[in-house]
Amino acid sequence: MIRTEELLLNVGPQHPSTHGVFRIVLKLDGEIIKEATPVMGYLHRGTEKLAEQLNYTQIIPYTDRMDYVSAMTNNYVLVHAVEKMMNIEIPERAEFMRLIVMELQRVASHLVWWGTYLLDIGAMSPFLYAFRDREVIIDLFNELCGARLTYNYMRVGGVKWDAPSGWIDKVRDFIPYMRKRLKEYDKLVSGNEIFLARIKGVGIYDAQTAIAYGLSGANLRCTGVNWDLRKQEPYSLYERFDFDVPLSFNGDCYDRYRIRIEEIVQSLRILEQAVEQFPSEGETMGKVPRVIRPPAGEVYARIESPRGEIGCYIVSKGKAEPYRLKFRRPSFVNLQILPELLVGQSMTNLITILGGVDIVVGEVDC
Amino acid sequence: MTELLQQALTWQNGLIFLGWAVLFLFIVLGFVTYAIYFERKVIGWMQFRHGPTRVGPLGLLQSVADVLKLLIKEDTIPQKADRALFILAPIITFVPAFAVLAVIPYTPSLYFADLHVGLLYYAALSSLSTIGIILGGWASNNKYSLIGGMRSAAQMISYEIPLVISVVGVVMLSGGLSLRTIVEGQGNNFWEWNLLPQMIGFVVFMIAAVSELNRTPFDLPEAESELVAGYHVEYSGFRFAFFMLAEYVYVFAIASLTTVLFLGGWHPPLAILDFIPGLLWFMLKFVFVVFFLFWLRATMPRIRVDQLMSFGWKVLLPLALINIFVTAAYIELFLK
Amino acid sequence: MKGLFKGLAVTLKAMTSKKVTYAYPDVPMQMPERFRGVQHFDPDKCIVCNACARICPTDCITLTGKPHPDPTKKGKVIDTYDINFEICILCDLCTEVCPTEAIMMTNNFELATCSRDTLFKDREWLHANDQRIRYDNISMLPKGGGKKDV
Repeated sequence: MIRTEELLLNVGPQHPSTHGVFRIVLKLDGEIIKEATPVMGYLHRGTEKLAEQLNYTQIIPYTDRMDYVSAMTNNYVLVHAVEKMMNIEIPERAEFMRLIVMELQRVASHLVWWGTYLLDIGAMSPFLYAFRDREVIIDLFNELCGARLTYNYMRVGGVKWDAPSGWIDKVRDFIPYMRKRLKEYDKLVSGNEIFLARIKGVGIYDAQTAIAYGLSGANLRCTGVNWDLRKQEPYSLYERFDFDVPLSFNGDCYDRYRIRIEEIVQSLRILEQAVEQFPSEGETMGKVPRVIRPPAGEVYARIESPRGEIGCYIVSKGKAEPYRLKFRRPSFVNLQILPELLVGQSMTNLITILGGVDIVVGEVDC
Repeated sequence: MTELLQQALTWQNGLIFLGWAVLFLFIVLGFVTYAIYFERKVIGWMQFRHGPTRVGPLGLLQSVADVLKLLIKEDTIPQKADRALFILAPIITFVPAFAVLAVIPYTPSLYFADLHVGLLYYAALSSLSTIGIILGGWASNNKYSLIGGMRSAAQMISYEIPLVISVVGVVMLSGGLSLRTIVEGQGNNFWEWNLLPQMIGFVVFMIAAVSELNRTPFDLPEAESELVAGYHVEYSGFRFAFFMLAEYVYVFAIASLTTVLFLGGWHPPLAILDFIPGLLWFMLKFVFVVFFLFWLRATMPRIRVDQLMSFGWKVLLPLALINIFVTAAYIELFLK
Repeated sequence: MKGLFKGLAVTLKAMTSKKVTYAYPDVPMQMPERFRGVQHFDPDKCIVCNACARICPTDCITLTGKPHPDPTKKGKVIDTYDINFEICILCDLCTEVCPTEAIMMTNNFELATCSRDTLFKDREWLHANDQRIRYDNISMLPKGGGKKDV
């Protein structure tokens, strides 16, 4: 007699497409997923607990290592929270520097996503195309702050380094370069019928579900919810710049793909304006007390990281160390929708959907 | 060679056959070594890299070093694997790959066997390799390899049919299944090749062939990002090398077959270029087909398994059938 | 089908374009001036203020001082100074707080060894690491005396 059985398949933590050490336990019927249970925590380093024994300057290098693809925005959310608590005024030039590096970081982060997503789908060239162009940004950062990935660039009250001479011009040159490259990417991938067939109509959810799960970033905007903290709650200098928030309404992987590509275009627009308005002189560090001791109380600051809403919640008891520090990590929150999306999908779509969510495991496990 | 084959099998003849086979095996191994090198170079160039450069001049010895490494690696057999099948599977995969090369004619005089059913022989033997892949996937006792093996079975069966049917048009035009007859039926100018009259057949054949080879965009059985390595997850050392070898020998076979069936074999593209030896023309076309396969790999994403199936049965098969009818009508109307 | 051919054209064009890889182990990497590499330590400048050990987020710096050999002078001189590069994250904070620039970043970044034990670098090793020191140490913090409380 023929008997069928469910197959329990353990994907990860060592698997090429889980982007690090993420694990999903799947119940498969043939290639169809009946149940998916994500297992997290393989990269947990206890950042939040460690932070309770460190002063605010010392926490900054730890935030670099959370979302290691987008360290600048992590730096910013921490210093932003502390500045909000202490009402520190930031010199304009420092704020410009922060904004420029954050937007460059957004481009770099989306490039990494683009390359690895295509690698998941099975195309190997886009990965190297994307990393070639990301290399330009990383070189810019290296020149600015002496590190390629873990920048430790921002400080409470300003930034550590002023732009070296000629650096702003290099950023200016980068904008047309990247625009040209985006056209090449479009030719290479965006029209590819196999690729479109793979991602169109896969992993659909609606705005209600997205909000219920607390999704943010491109994962939310692909359902048509116009929510970008740069517009809704402008921080830094975003009010001064003219840019659009890309939106689409189908909520599938293709929409998320389009939105991220479009976000690169918008970031380039912001960069173009920021470079033009960049103040020629000014301080890069505001007036900050020697010892950073925020007054007792609590604060929640949130910004738009490339992956969504990253937040930092600090409880201070008036000491140099935070009493409690909590990061709202967008990767972690966005990932929660995964079990629901995966049911009924095939093994192949698992990769498409997981890649489309855009997680960084360092941030998921924190 | 043909005369020898028709004589009774004596010890002497047997040894001659063996000698040729061994010699040919080395030629094929040489091809595989440099096909891998060439593939890595081409894909490297397409990605702004250099490809292998460090082992030997220009990295020419890279594949040799890789093979050497595979041979001296520890041969692991999982404890819960089906030992006999696990050992047998790579052999079953490799032997047909090598055996199909016997019927391919390279020049009017250079060929091994001129079977009257050459094409059928090729199709029949090449589908045997699938069994090796399924066995390997099953015997490994690994879930990834099992899924890979199953995918491979489904894929090979679905694409074997359009592959064979797409060449029926060629067979009808040349009036024989022997590959030599097919080449001789094509002329010394490129419009006399089967390429243009059998355009639909050629396209279907190429797509089905890429799929038969398990290469991008149809590399689902070993889809790296989903199944880690598919059916050969558990294989290491020289057993893995055999799977690799079989894959590249099939590249050799399919490229030769495409050249023979559609690109006019040893015929030059224009009659005035006839002074260049036929073997050279054959190699040129062959290299072009191989390059095309690598080029595809550098560009294409992978197709999904359900799309693969519907594409094979709903698009390729009807196209191949239409091709037969069109060819038949053409022969009936114009060539009678 | 059009999209597939467009993609093929892009990769074919890339074949002849300039390669972007570095010949790294053969040609040493040229890092920018501000690059944060393995620290250089100058014992003569050190005033044993402990600022670096206190700011270090991973506690990888350990130092001890001893009384000044010249009894007429006040203060301490450095006795031992060790950085454990197993846990050092080269975050640049120690050089940022150092009031006398006794600890400086260099451009050297090659730390790969066969044993973890060799990553524990002492005062002599750090002092000998004196090639390509980063003198551009100007950070945004005002430099004070040794009384900096961070």
